[in-house]
Amino acid sequence: MRFNEQQDPVLRAAADWWVRLRAAGADGEVIEQWLAWTGEDERNLQAFERMNELAERLGTLDKVSRQGLIRAFVRFAPTPVPALRRWFPLAAAASIAAVVLSGALYIGWTHFAADVATQVVYQSGVAQNREFSLPDGTKVALGAASRLSVKYSNAQRSVEVSDGEAYFEVVHDNQRPFVVTVGNMTVRDIGTAFDVRRTGGRVTIAVTQGRVAIADQRLQARPHNTLEAIAGQRVSYDPDASRLLVDIEAPAQATAWRHNRLEFIDEPLGVVIANLNRYAGRPVRVADADLNALTYTGTIRTDAIDDWVGALPQVFPLRVSKEANGVVLSDPKHAFR
Amino acid sequence: MNAVTLSVHVSDIERLFREHNRALIAFLQCRLNSLSDAQEVAQEAYLRMLTMDDREQVDSLRGYLFKVAGNLAIDRLRKRKVRSDFAAVQSQDEPMDEYRPDHHAMAVEQVAGVRQALSELPAKTSQAFVMHVIEGRDFSHVAQTMKLSERMVRYHVANALARCRAYVDGKEGP
Repeated sequence: MRFNEQQDPVLRAAADWWVRLRAAGADGEVIEQWLAWTGEDERNLQAFERMNELAERLGTLDKVSRQGLIRAFVRFAPTPVPALRRWFPLAAAASIAAVVLSGALYIGWTHFAADVATQVVYQSGVAQNREFSLPDGTKVALGAASRLSVKYSNAQRSVEVSDGEAYFEVVHDNQRPFVVTVGNMTVRDIGTAFDVRRTGGRVTIAVTQGRVAIADQRLQARPHNTLEAIAGQRVSYDPDASRLLVDIEAPAQATAWRHNRLEFIDEPLGVVIANLNRYAGRPVRVADADLNALTYTGTIRTDAIDDWVGALPQVFPLRVSKEANGVVLSDPKHAFR
Repeated sequence: MNAVTLSVHVSDIERLFREHNRALIAFLQCRLNSLSDAQEVAQEAYLRMLTMDDREQVDSLRGYLFKVAGNLAIDRLRKRKVRSDFAAVQSQDEPMDEYRPDHHAMAVEQVAGVRQALSELPAKTSQAFVMHVIEGRDFSHVAQTMKLSERMVRYHVANALARCRAYVDGKEGP
């Protein structure tokens, strides 16, 4: 049935009564009027009962479906934060010493004189989560196959997540803002713990505690391009749509990866696979680009990735084949490739 | 209308049940969003009517039944809220229970029609509906969040409910 068809007046009346009876002020008089309506025609009460049935079914959905719908349709109005212009002009370029450590953690830390910053790069291997503290006491959990550059100066603590995912518990310092750059986005802490993830051009920022201010670097001239997100909110930047979407995510869910679970709600399969590959012993490749657009909601255990991949054809129209250098997902419609 | 003192007899309750039980259950299910809770509360309401010993002044036994049932429903919603707040605290660290995509397939199927219906509606309409019916927020909360009047919120919810019902019926057959 399409919506441009004529609406059934009984159905519409039943829906109107359904909301009226649920309203806080529905008193005896409203109930009497409703009873009179149900007495007019037996189809009226039948239609009303069908409203009840659907509403109950939708009110008792499983957690994942419920969150999927909330995410898809509930928008939080972004709150512009006009007073944040000052934090954009970065301190003058400092002499940068880049230290790259692969698969290991940098232990020591060098203090430089004022206005001189040092850059340290942290990188984790496939299937390796890392946890460490920065010199100011800020705690970092770094996801697998992720890369983090840290540059502290007297004026600002700058961190860039150039690949993968990281979670920060920031020691707040008004004099020295903590700023994370991830893709095109900048996240500035306002007393906070938050998670950032970069998958190509796509960025998600989930706040688990406190607040952050998020800005698109390319639009920094206009203050209204900054928005504040609070604990429980997730901000996603989709390069294709080129817009920020604010929705909700339980803090425990945002950092589930720290406990070997990757949780996704309504994310394109391509993004899911790219993140799964940060944990997969055997990389998964999507052969047909049209599969990337399928959306997935659910949990993947990083210790059972093969099982998950094996079960994919049961939910998606795709084929899984094992090849020498990994697993390939292909569209069965493109046969004889 | 003159109020009369009614002494309530079993036969009165039987007649109330015969004539109005279906509407009472529908009313309670609407308030409680649960058929089984509605049935329990209705039972309790009849029991209250039978054991009513102060011969209250009522002009309509039916009106009184719905009033008693409505109050019992409010009590139940209150208790339910305390329980769910408690459960929310308890389950904060619990993982989601779907580990494999196939566990998830049925839910996806069930939700797909509603999702399609909602996506064809104006954004405010679908948001108000999802917040009220799926998230379980009351009208005043939705109104505050969306900066709309409660009346507008109710209008949006009713509109979406009728559309979703029509859409789901179109798929499942009437």
